Amino acid sequence: MSANTFLWHGREIPFVAGESIAAALTAAGILTFGPDMSGRETRYFCGIGACQNCLVRVDGGVVEACLTAAHTGLVVTPAGGQHD
Amino acid sequence: MTDARIIVIGAGPAGLAAAAELARAGLECVLVDQRATVGGAIHRQPAHPSRAIPMSRVAHRRFESLVQGIATPRVQFRGLSHFLGVDGDGFALIEDRTGGRVEKLAAKAIILATGAVEKIRPVQGWELPGVSTAGGMQVMLKETGIAPQGRILLAGNGPLLVALAAQLIRAGNPPLALVEAANPIAKPLAALGLLRHPGLLAEAAGFTFDVLRSGLPWMRGAYLVRIEKAGSALAAVIRQADGQETRIEVDRIAVHDGIRENRIGLPQTNMQGAPIIVHAGDCRQTLGAPAAVADGARAGRQVAALLNGQTLDMANLERQLARQMAAQKRLARIFSPVVSLPPLKDLPDETVICRCEGSTVGSLKALLSVKDGLSGREVKHNGRFAMGNCQGRFCAANTAALMTELRPDMPEAKEADLTGRRWPIRPVSIAALLSAAPAEQTNDHEVRL
Repeated sequence: MSANTFLWHGREIPFVAGESIAAALTAAGILTFGPDMSGRETRYFCGIGACQNCLVRVDGGVVEACLTAAHTGLVVTPAGGQHD
Repeated sequence: MTDARIIVIGAGPAGLAAAAELARAGLECVLVDQRATVGGAIHRQPAHPSRAIPMSRVAHRRFESLVQGIATPRVQFRGLSHFLGVDGDGFALIEDRTGGRVEKLAAKAIILATGAVEKIRPVQGWELPGVSTAGGMQVMLKETGIAPQGRILLAGNGPLLVALAAQLIRAGNPPLALVEAANPIAKPLAALGLLRHPGLLAEAAGFTFDVLRSGLPWMRGAYLVRIEKAGSALAAVIRQADGQETRIEVDRIAVHDGIRENRIGLPQTNMQGAPIIVHAGDCRQTLGAPAAVADGARAGRQVAALLNGQTLDMANLERQLARQMAAQKRLARIFSPVVSLPPLKDLPDETVICRCEGSTVGSLKALLSVKDGLSGREVKHNGRFAMGNCQGRFCAANTAALMTELRPDMPEAKEADLTGRRWPIRPVSIAALLSAAPAEQTNDHEVRL
């Protein structure tokens, strides 16, 4: 995997060090972050962790994409993608 | 043994000012924030310094001085840490996201400075990807330094929309339109009152001037009726001031209907044996950043006075707060809607009220159709309103308002009936919570000594 990228649906998403996963996905033109645990579509919304609309799964754990810094080599998947 | 600490939650203007004030009084504190850097939403730091978007001189000076204030070993900053609440034994629960564990901290005092959240008036389609809050779009712009791509529409009510429009223009992607329920430039007399608040006036005038000069359609006295999917894009249906509806296709929509205190679920009253709890800044009363600095300092002094037994002069801070309150009152007048927004009960049944649980206007109508109606608690438990991950931050007030509209014969529904007050105030993994258990036993024992 290239430096300063993480994986989203097999696609390498570039980011600037220090940027959140949400910012990197948005810059890559990705506005839906897939289904959450209830099957509802997630998206970036409030940007401050309050709305919990941007949940994604990183290393098995569910986190807010807007609060979680992107790192090289991360595999990011939809929050609800693995349990249906 | 771990000494009981003073904990400040939130490193925005209020939290930074509170921590600095505690340090000045000779007290140490732990300053906790969910992000890696201080500043809060208003001073969100760019991921890369070369990409910082320009800040007004006033804002720049304010941030410099706040950062200087905490540059002391007495203030220990803990980033990437989430405040989960105060447990039954009075311990502050802090989730360390880097370590994946929850710490239980014995606290003498907790200053809560969790800022504000935005109010969102629900319309059909507000839950769609591509729709964010205006504040959400703004903090991302601050973080990346790059304007969002594609066609953007801003809609709602309040000064933040004008600020964001101006920032998007400066960043090179002006919005297609700015839809505003008020007509802020039609109130020159009220605006004149801002002369007494030169900092605010300079900022507001700068944003307004940029928006007017850009020629972007500023639809005043107008509101968003609904959002539809339009292929891979979105379409906004807008009711204009003349009553006509218009449809604009865009890629991104930022909605915003004012701000409110971010205190849902926060510990409010002082339980016996629990730490002193003081609210500071926008989470106490949404008055903006300059007021938050004064209010944070006030909270810091209050805690210092309680713990040190000193009396500290508050008069100057109270004066600053009163001034900011007057300024915010003027702003609210300037931005009071000139169009009457339709009541929530007129929204189509399929309109989502609670995004987390997908609960709709129609499902609330069905729930409340029983003869005796339902209480807020029953609406939560039977209809899952305000039951989801956001814990009602974006829907509890709307649900309560809609309940009152639908059943005026019932006692007025309250937001607090739907939210309740308990920890964790943020979702946390069970594994992380379990990691807190051993510390509890040790601390418990030590505290009793």
